[in-house]
This record gives sequence, structure tokens and C-alpha cells, in this order.
Amino acid sequence: MGLSAPVVVSPEWLEARLESVTPVDVRPERAYADLGHVPGAVNVPAERFREPGRVAAGTLPDWETFSGLLERAGIGPDDALVAYDDEGGPLAARLLLTAATFGHRGPLYLLDGGLDGWRASYPLSSDPPALEPTSYEVEPPADSPLVGREAVEAAVDTDTVIVDTRTRAEFEASHVPSAVGLDWEALLDEEGWLKPRADLEHLLESRGLVPDRRVILYCNTARRLSHTFVVLAHLGFDDLAYYEGSLTDWVRARAPAWDPLELAGQVRAHADDGIEGLVDACGDDVLSRLKLVGLYHQKQPGYFMLRTKVPGGILTSEQARVIGRVASEFACAPERYGASRQNPIFGDAYLDLTTRQDVQMHWIRLGDVPEIWDRYEAVGLTTLQACGNSVRNVVSCPAAGLDPEETLDVRPQVETISERFLGDPVYGNLPRKLKVSVTGCHENCARAQINDLAFTPAVDGDRRGFAVHVGGGLSDGPRLASDLGVFVEPEQVPAVVAATAEVFKTYGSYLDTAVNRLRYLVEELGVERFREELERAVPFSFDPAGEAVTTSYRGDHVGVHDQADGRHYVGLAVPVGRLAGREFATLADLADAYGAGELRLTPNQNALLPHVGAADLEPLLAEPLLERYSPTPGPFTRGIVTCTGHEFCSYGVIETKNRAVGWARSLDAWAERCGLDEREVIRLHLSGCSASCAQPQLGDVGLRGEIYRDDHRTTAAVDVGLGGDLGAGRFADWIAGRVPAEAAPEGIGRLVLAYEAERLADERFSEWVDRVPNDRLRGLLEGYGDAPESSTAEVR
Amino acid sequence: MSEDRSKRADEPRLPGVGGDPRESVGPVSDPDGKTWFRDLDEAVVETDRCIQCGTCVAACPSDSIGIEEATGRPTLVRMCTGCSRCWDFCPRSGLRYERIVDLVARDAGLPRHGRNEGADGADDSIIVGEPYAARARDRSEHAAGQDGGAVTALLAELLESGALDGALVARERADEPLRGEAFLATSRADLREAAGSVYTQTMQLGRLEETLEEAGLDASDARIALVGTPCVIEGAAALERYDWAGESEPIALTVALMCTRSFEHERLQQAVESHGVDPAAVEKLDVDAGVLYAVDADGEVVLEEPIGSFDTAALRGCLECSDFVGGAADISAGSVGSGEGSTTLVVRTERGRRAFERASAGLETAALAETGALERIADWNQRRALEALPRRFEPRGSVGITYEQHRAAYDGTDREPEALNPARVHQYEEWC
Ligand SMILES: Cc1cc2nc3c(=O)[nH]c(=O)nc-3n(C[C@H](O)[C@H](O)[C@H](O)COP(=O)(O)OP(=O)(O)OC[C@H]3O[C@@H](n4cnc5c(N)ncnc54)[C@H](O)[C@@H]3O)c2cc1C
Ligand code: SF4
Ligand code: SF4
Ligand code: SF4
Repeated sequence: MGLSAPVVVSPEWLEARLESVTPVDVRPERAYADLGHVPGAVNVPAERFREPGRVAAGTLPDWETFSGLLERAGIGPDDALVAYDDEGGPLAARLLLTAATFGHRGPLYLLDGGLDGWRASYPLSSDPPALEPTSYEVEPPADSPLVGREAVEAAVDTDTVIVDTRTRAEFEASHVPSAVGLDWEALLDEEGWLKPRADLEHLLESRGLVPDRRVILYCNTARRLSHTFVVLAHLGFDDLAYYEGSLTDWVRARAPAWDPLELAGQVRAHADDGIEGLVDACGDDVLSRLKLVGLYHQKQPGYFMLRTKVPGGILTSEQARVIGRVASEFACAPERYGASRQNPIFGDAYLDLTTRQDVQMHWIRLGDVPEIWDRYEAVGLTTLQACGNSVRNVVSCPAAGLDPEETLDVRPQVETISERFLGDPVYGNLPRKLKVSVTGCHENCARAQINDLAFTPAVDGDRRGFAVHVGGGLSDGPRLASDLGVFVEPEQVPAVVAATAEVFKTYGSYLDTAVNRLRYLVEELGVERFREELERAVPFSFDPAGEAVTTSYRGDHVGVHDQADGRHYVGLAVPVGRLAGREFATLADLADAYGAGELRLTPNQNALLPHVGAADLEPLLAEPLLERYSPTPGPFTRGIVTCTGHEFCSYGVIETKNRAVGWARSLDAWAERCGLDEREVIRLHLSGCSASCAQPQLGDVGLRGEIYRDDHRTTAAVDVGLGGDLGAGRFADWIAGRVPAEAAPEGIGRLVLAYEAERLADERFSEWVDRVPNDRLRGLLEGYGDAPESSTAEVR
Repeated sequence: MSEDRSKRADEPRLPGVGGDPRESVGPVSDPDGKTWFRDLDEAVVETDRCIQCGTCVAACPSDSIGIEEATGRPTLVRMCTGCSRCWDFCPRSGLRYERIVDLVARDAGLPRHGRNEGADGADDSIIVGEPYAARARDRSEHAAGQDGGAVTALLAELLESGALDGALVARERADEPLRGEAFLATSRADLREAAGSVYTQTMQLGRLEETLEEAGLDASDARIALVGTPCVIEGAAALERYDWAGESEPIALTVALMCTRSFEHERLQQAVESHGVDPAAVEKLDVDAGVLYAVDADGEVVLEEPIGSFDTAALRGCLECSDFVGGAADISAGSVGSGEGSTTLVVRTERGRRAFERASAGLETAALAETGALERIADWNQRRALEALPRRFEPRGSVGITYEQHRAAYDGTDREPEALNPARVHQYEEWC
């Protein structure tokens, strides 16, 4: 018997047979007991027979668990079961499919309309039925409907129909090759009843599903497919199978398509055939996979953004020169986009320094990529895994090894982590990106709290090592990383990173990309549980936390600073991180002339020139390039950070770089007029949209792009957040939404003036923001309410 | 590191109606006025209030909204940045459609729309513009058209005279009876093929870009006419007024088909079937004086039923619509008021007038003196809308309705936002 038609039965059908069949309620115990159930129904809660957790979420339970559950519920192998839930049927269907797979002999039915359908016509009961424990012994069927990945692989592009029962959006994002999409809910009508047979057949036919074809179903957690399975059985399909690993398994399998080295090879092989050639040869999705080798298809078709990974932000002058030259030779806009006039301020052939210490350039053509890679390889640079779902560029303190106070020089850890994961296909395809930071100084320069995994210095007696933090991040669900409360030795760091990637792969969902960053997993498992999982995945046990030595937070490294060895490092403000390739090459020359042939990039989109001897300082500071990229800039120019924005990013709601450079310039001039220029830095972070690539939550003032509309017009706008301060462990609060962008600089000016006028001694901007009522902050920003007098000084 | 905390923790704030894991992890909340696709989805799509105009798709600057094949409704296909624009332009949520209609009338120097609204309504009239009875001069166009074939003839003349490069109209899908699809007609022959009314919505504003591309027209300099139900034209008029990234640039003329309701394709097929008629055999549907007729390929009337028996197949969102005539359009077209075999055209704007004159060679027209029938149905339609609309009807209100205002009016009614099925929340970040 098992699942053979008819399978889906109506409440009337059930009501007429309550004496002869066993209704099975799969809702949680509480709901079953407290809210009432179908008279005579026994309770087999779905959470008991579906594997919990995320790894094997929803897969078949082991035999003992399942038979034990049924025995306690008084179910025998020949009983007729009618299962129901209150979620449209997939959980009830899951019970039936599980029973069928184990070989249940009696007939299996699904109650149409579920509990709600029953309740519409018949009463519920809250009396528990009398249960007689049974002995549940069955033989699994010879022809199990459960198949493995090999069977699905073999079915690709054959007569067998592979059916994806997830939503259309999920299907479109990724699916098994040759699968057809059939959202399980499409089988139900608005009220949750199974649609009429004719409609169903019509729908199925449109997907090529007819009863005499073999069908393999999958979804993600084996829940939705169960429902479709049961309905197909009801309609007389008898060659049905299901694949439990579902898409998770498929993606996780080491698909060569996702191997970064393999991909790089394909790019080289097809570079001369243009994008169409590459797509023809490697499939439609190749453009999204190219991220794994550092290439993002730009908003302008046919051109790419190329991201160069710079572990810890450390470059040799030779590498920096190559990057600069590549930008000036290859990052050139074509005539139809305006060539060197494409951007009124920066022209073209420029590069962008990022908040992850990477370098990005735009307008790269596929045909030039092999040449760029050749030049890169010759000097030890790479773009592999700069983007995509893998271990991203490792961020560290840009003054590592220079700072006189640091606990540890973390350069070796940065290097080993980077090398460990480079080109490794096993880690090239994580559920999502994994952002790692390592800090050795006391000032949290690598922004531990906003990385997925972060190491900060700690001491344990005379041992120096790290505290470990997990689950931080920004984007649209910002979270500060949680301290795991452990101490790890420097040598143990790579193992902890690998273990984190393992746990992430095991538990993280590959599909629900909105919420599968590590922080959601940490939130779900809890810090304790996460630590236990992590400990299970490392070849040692964790020592209890040492003494943390992070004492303060340093905003940036701009200015002239002393090194431990008596030389100096000079931090240069690069407004919005953008400079001409040619200028970057000149910086490399300066590093040779005055330093020791090394150049560093900071997480504030700035550059740092280390190892400058006392005698070389003066001539270096007199270099013309340092007028533009100054160690002593105005406070706004110093603090400005932006993402790429509308110019190249298809999400960017507003243009960011040009706008922000203009703002910083006019705000600095205004600050000088108001006598505010001795203030060191005011950190303005402007992001083109809520994806928060410019880390607006960290700024004194954080801005993200919006669009304003009233009855008269529509214009670029910003959400305004105030008081971000990682030193105080806090993000900016979004104080006002959709402020027209042209009004923002003046509003910011008013806020800064009010702060200057009212602050207590040593009070930080974030502290001031904290104590001023939100309405007053809004008033200052938007120009109403009381403001200090001098705020009338115009910001233009 | 100190405690997570938000300065705004004590400020009243309206959470979305469903549970979203992203809301639970962070110490920071959205600023007021931040509206995401999810809010639109819950307020409009999940509640079955969407009238499939496609405005949200056209309004989204990051092309994050796609069209779900099975339902023909908007769905998120890429990361949403929360820019609120889809909300701002949806005639069922953030766009006060009666205000758009009012603004169009005001700009055209016409008496303003919405007489039942009271107070300052002295010069208000529901029908604004110049009414004509019109029919295609060409016989086959006259025959192919739903009423007088006037819309087909008007567009064909404009295409052939070079005033337009295309017209975004609707035709029946090849694979599904009675279900429409957006179609960019670029020739007289195309228009003849698409003549006649389609009683389901096609999200056509959301198809504008792709149909232009398919036709090999460049969106930056193409001129097209947009034909659609009044709600589609409201969306288009709002986009033209508050254009952000050139999304409405190709629109050079708007033609509204007067409308009291449209239908949901599956339910319409079922309703026809329930009267024993095979939907595939229906060649043409027509509604006249409260009766729905279905005609087969031989011209036989195969179904004749009071329109009321199709109520369940109608789009639920249509009940909230008072804009029978399509007051935001350059030209409106309907059957009411000009007699059998003619189309009633209402010419409203300067752009409409130029088009009407330019197309005169293809049309027989006569000014319409008597508009009583038109007024009566428009009036009835408006009263129905005012009953169903949970919010206030305010032709002089501001054009935007915030999420908070929407919730204040809709919560507790049978049109309140419904939690989104989490499996549908699908976003992905591609950048950084
Ligand atoms: C859903 C709906 C309900 C209507 N209800 C009424 C009513 O209650 N009272 C009334 O007087 N008139 C109503 N009409 C208008 C009427 O049916 C005719 O469309 C109108 O009179 C024009 O007739 P015609 O012969 O000049 O148009 P035709 O020459 O047939 O040209 C009509 C043009 O509109 C296009 N078109 C048809 N349907 C759609 C659609 N759904 N979306 C976009 N483009 C479309 C066609 O492709 C064609 O190009 C309704 C129309 C629709 C679509
Ligand atoms: S990004 Fe698109 S989907 Fe999201 S709010 Fe803006 S318009 Fe709506
Ligand atoms: S009514 Fe129109 S704008 Fe609103 S959700 Fe539906 S299609 Fe989008
Ligand atoms: S009744 Fe109104 S909302 Fe419905 S289709 Fe017609 S114009 Fe659109």
C-alpha cells in the first residue's frame, strides 16, 4: 500500500472513517495538547522525526527514532494513517514520505486543507486518545524512493524530470541543471486546499510532468518536496523518487565549476572570445562565478571591476607599481562611455582603495585579464577569491610590525591564512563570504567587531596570543561580533579559520542568501554552542580566555608616527580612496626613495608609507604628491569613506565618490572659516545603498543612499546615522531617513558646530550624540529648532 | 566592548508584520520612512491587493523586482536596498493615485477630478477632458476592435506617421487562454493582431524595458504609447512626474482603457469553466450593461452571465480604485456612452490633443454632447471605491503615503498587511 492513489483525502472522507483510520497530528506537542486536534488523532511531532539543526536539517531520522516514535503513538505497520499539520501540508507529507520510505504497509493519506480545513466543518477534541504501545516492524521496500546525488547526476538531461519544489526566486538563483521549477505552493489554492485535478494536471503538464515519466524531486530541507511527492502520488504518478541532500548537497559537492583555479584557466582560454565566447563555453552563470577570481561584471555591459587582494594591506613597491601601471593602462573607459571624461572629477585610469585593504579598478576588458594576471603573477599578486563566497582578503592593522606598543606582529598569521585558502576549491565555495580580521596592536585597527571572524591580542601569563570573536557584520542586519571567551596561540590561528569555515559549511544555509552570513548562524546556535562546534573541528582544545589587551580604538593612521625601530611611518589621506594609477605608481617610487620599498593600505581607504628615516621625512613631506594625499588634511577630508556607488554598482542608489569629495572639500573650507580646523577628524561614511559597503554604521556621521520624493520633485537623498564609534562598541543610530542629499552638508555642519559648542571636556562625538535627544539632533540636521548662532555660516 | 544598544530603542517604531531574522540580530533600527520591498509585498501582494500594474518593477532603480511567472505578480529577484521607491509608486500603497489624477487635470488646465470629496469640490467633475464618439475608418480595424476600434486606429496612424516607434499593448498569451501578456506593437499589423480587450493585467509597466530591448529599440530615444487600465496609467504618470533614472523616458503618450475591474487569470479561467465553457474556445470577452459575454471564433455567444457571478475572479485590489475613466491618461477610451460600434474617447492633455489630431485621418469622430451614462458609471465606481478603501480618499492630499500612514489606516481591516512566507524572502548581495 503505502502512498498509492488516492492519497489526499477530504475532511468529509476522514469524518466518515474516524473509526477505522488513525489521524496523525504532526504539530508540536504543545499545540496538539493545548489547541485541540482532530478527534482520536495521535501526536507525532515533526520536529521529532526530522533531523534538527542545519546540517542534515530535515533528513530522514534513524530507524530507532522513527519506529520508537510510532510505537509510543500506538501506530502499527498496517494502520491506515491520515496525517495533517497547520502549515499547508509539507510536514504531514514528510511523515507520510518517511513512513513510506521505511516500508509502512498500511495506506497513507494526507488530509486536504490541514487542520484549518477540518476545523471549518468539524469540531476539535482535546481528549488524548487511549494509546496502546505497539511493536513497529517493517521491511524497507525493495525499490526505495530515496536516491542519492549520483542518481540525480545521472538524470540530468535525460527523460527523467528533475523537479525543484522551492520558490521561483530560489529556483532562479540556482538549481540543479535541467531541473524544472514547480513551487510546491502552486499546487494549493488560496485557502490551502489542493487545486482541482484538472488544474493540477494542466500545471504539471506545463512542466513536462506526466504520470508515465520518472520524476525526482528536491527542495532544500526535504519538507516542500514531500508535499509535492504526495500530491504526485495522488495523481497517479508511480515512478517517483526524492533526493534528500537537496540543493545544499549539490552545491556543496566539489563542483569543478566553482574551483577558482579552474575558472582562472577558463578565463585565460576564452579571454579573446569576449564575454559571449566565455558564456558559450562555460555557461550562463559564469559571470557570477567570475567573482571567485576577482572579476565583477560592471553595470556597463562588457566591462569588469577587478579586485586585487592585498593581505593585511601590505605591498612591496614593485607590486604597487605594477598595480598603478595596470590601472593607468587598462582601467580606461571606452569612447562610448566618455573615455577620460567619463567622470568629471577623476577621469578614468584610476583605482580605489577599499575598506578591506583591497584595490579595485574599473573598465577592465576580459581580453586584458590574462596580461594583467601575468604581470601580477610575476610580482606575487593575485585576484583569486578577492570576491565571492570564500575567505576574503584578511584585514589587519596597517601598522603591524611597526607599532612600538603592539603585543604581536601579526604579519605571519595574515600570510598563512591567506596562503592556506588561496585557490583551495574546498573553501572557494562557502555558503557566503567569510571575512577575517587579525589585529596585534592595542587599538583594534582591523575592526574586529564587524568581521565574521576576528582575532584580537590577549596575554595569558607570559604567553601572547589571541581572543577570538565571531559573527560581526554590517549590511542591513548589523551585529557586533561575540567574544568566544577562549585563548588561542598564534600557530593555532589558521586551524581556527579552517574550522570556522567547516562549521559554516556544515550548518550554514547555501540558499537563503539574505540571512546566511555567519552572524545569523552564531545568533541561531548561540555563542556557547558555536564554540563547542568549533572546538570539535580543531585538533586541540581551547584554553580559557586570557587577558584582552585591546585598550582603545584608533580611527586611522593619518599623520607622521614613530615606529618601534626609531624610523617613522607616514599615513596619507586619500580622499574616498580614489587615486590615479599613475599617482599610485608614484607613491611606490616615493616608498623606494624615502622608505624601504614598502607601501601599505589601511581600512580607511588610505595609504601608509613605512620605514622613513628621520632625515628623509622633510623631503618626503615636501613632495608635490603629498599636497593632494596629505598627512595633515582637513578634518572632513581625513575622515571621508565611501563605497563605489551608482557610478559602477547596480545597487548604488546614489553617486558617492564625487559627491563625497565635494562635500569634504567644502566642509573643510567651512570648518576653517568657523575656526574648527584644529579638530583632527570627523568621520563621514557615505554608502550608496543599505548594503553598507562604506560601513556607514562606523562613522561619526553615517550616510546611505535613498531617494526622496514629495509632491514637487524627486531627488537623491540619504539616511543619516549618528554616533558610530567602534571604540565604544556602538554603531551609528539611524536618526533621520531620506534627507535630500543637497541639504546634508549644511545639516552636518550644524551638528558639528553644536557639538563643538556644547561638548564637555574630552567628550567624544558619539558620547555627545548619546546624550542629546533625538529630536534635537534631527532639528539640527534638518534645520529647524535651536542651533548655535554661528551655524548660519554657509557650507558651500 | 560595551553593550549593544540603540539610541532609538525607546522611540516607537513599527516593525514589519512578519518575522525576519535580520531584525533580531542587530542593535540598530531603520530610520523612519525606510521602506523595503518586503513591506510592499506584505501590504499589497500577500494581501491579494496587487492589481498587477507593474509600476513597482519599473520604479526599482536596482532592477530588484521581477515578475513571478505563475501568479504574474511582483517578486524580489535581487537584493533590495530599501530605497522605498517601489512603495512610493504603487497605486495600492505609497502612491495616492487620486492625487496623481488631480495633478494631471490641474496641469492640463481642466476642472479637477473627484467630486464626491466634498469641501472645495465646486468645480470638480468626474469626467474631465473633451469627450468624443470615435471609430476606426478602416473596416477591418473597426471589426477587430473591442468597440469602435478607435484605439487601434489611433495608434496605427501615429506609428505610420512616425510620431511613435511602438505601442505597448496587450494580447492573449499563446499558451494560456484568457491570460494577457504585454506586447510592444511596432506596426499596423501588430496592432490589428492585438486589437480587442484583454481582461487580465499584464504588469506591462514592468515589461517596458524588456519589450523595448526585444524590439531592438533604444530606451533612451524611443517614443512609445502606453495603453493600459487606469491604474497602469496612474503609475506611469507618477513615474513621468518623478522620474529618477529615465524609467519613463520612452513614454510619449498614455491611453487608458476605462475600467471598473480586471481579473485574475486562473480564477477567470475557472469561472468561465464553471459555466460549462472551455476557456480556450473563447475568442472575445465583453462586458456590457452589467452582463459578461463570451464569444467564440464563429461569433457565437457562448456565455452570457451577469458580471456579478464573476466577482470572485476579479482582482481584489480593484475595489479600492475610483478611477474608472483613467484620469491620469492623455486619452481615455471606453465603450460607455457612445453607442454600439463606437469608442468613447476622452482627450485630456495637450499631448493627447496633438495625438488625436495627428491621427484624424484614421478616425471618424464626433464630439459627444451627452455624457450622462459615463458620469453615472464613474460615479457608481467611485462610491464603490470609497466604501472599500480603508484610507481616506483625498484628491488634494499629498502624493505620498508613508508605510506608517498605510498601516494606521489598514491595520485591523480585512486588507491589513499579511506576514510574508519566509521562503519568499530572497535577497542576495553581490557587491563587496
Ligand atoms: C480590464 C478591462 C475592463 C474594461 N472595462 C470597461 C468598462 O467597464 N466600461 C467601458 O466602457 N470600457 C471598459 N473597458 C474598455 C473597453 O473594453 C475597450 O478597451 C475600449 O472601449 C477601447 O475600445 P476600442 O475598440 O477602441 O479598442 P481596440 O481598438 O480594441 O484597442 C484596444 C487596445 O488596447 C489594448 N489592450 C486591451 N486590453 C488591454 C489590457 N488589459 N491592458 C493593456 N492594453 C490592453 C489592445 O491590445 C489594443 O491595442 C475595459 C477594458 C479592460 C482592458
Ligand atoms: S531596491 Fe527596489 S525593491 Fe527595494 S525598496 Fe527600492 S525599489 Fe523597492
Ligand atoms: S499594485 Fe502595481 S505597483 Fe503595487 S505591488 Fe502590484 S504591481 Fe507593484
Ligand atoms: S479597476 Fe482600477 S485597479 Fe482594477 S484594473 Fe481597473 S483601473 Fe486597475
